[in-house]
Amino acid sequence: MSNQANKLEGSSMSFREKSAWIAFLAYGGVFGAYFVVLWQAWDPAYGQGLSIGLLVSAMFAFVIIVTALTIVAALINPKAANAPADERERLIDLKSERAASYTLSTGVLLTMAGLLLGFNGFLIANVLLAGLVAAELVKAGWQIVSFRGVLQ
Amino acid sequence: MPIENEIRRLRFENGEMTQQALAERVGVTRQTIIAIEHNKYSPSLEAAFRIANAFGVPLEQVFRWKSD
Repeated sequence: MSNQANKLEGSSMSFREKSAWIAFLAYGGVFGAYFVVLWQAWDPAYGQGLSIGLLVSAMFAFVIIVTALTIVAALINPKAANAPADERERLIDLKSERAASYTLSTGVLLTMAGLLLGFNGFLIANVLLAGLVAAELVKAGWQIVSFRGVLQ
Repeated sequence: MPIENEIRRLRFENGEMTQQALAERVGVTRQTIIAIEHNKYSPSLEAAFRIANAFGVPLEQVFRWKSD
């Protein structure tokens, strides 16, 4: 039983797994760099001008990277890109959304704690952004390990 | 997973049907067929019937409960 029927045994990535990798790498790379730069430049003397410019640049870079990589992935296999999600992909999506919602909830609670502790608006906004990015990383990461068969 | 299957054998017996060909007949991705075949994902009842139908056999010839 090792002829043509088994030629495709290796499990190459589906389009949705590629999308999850794109999201994971883009969120991790772009916003990881954003928070590192923000951390290094952390000084009240910089003010909010730098941070807003940095945030806009990060968002712009994120959109460009995700769009470009998604287009490339879709061009490689247009049929798979246009196909609706199947039952396993929908299940993985639901579970990853649930995991992401817990992460986002934690981010919101930390933001509320920051408000109670008297953090300024700039810091509060970034704590909230960090929660949002962490939630998206958890979602994409959950999808990746699920697609790889690590999670059932 | 408590469910075993004979998909690999049935593919072989059906003209060495590829996973992609089976996936297209069932309406799922090839990766989902791989996950089912390797007992990493239990399909819905509908998908299970579609798989059996693709091979032209009853459901119980494709899937069976794995007793301890």
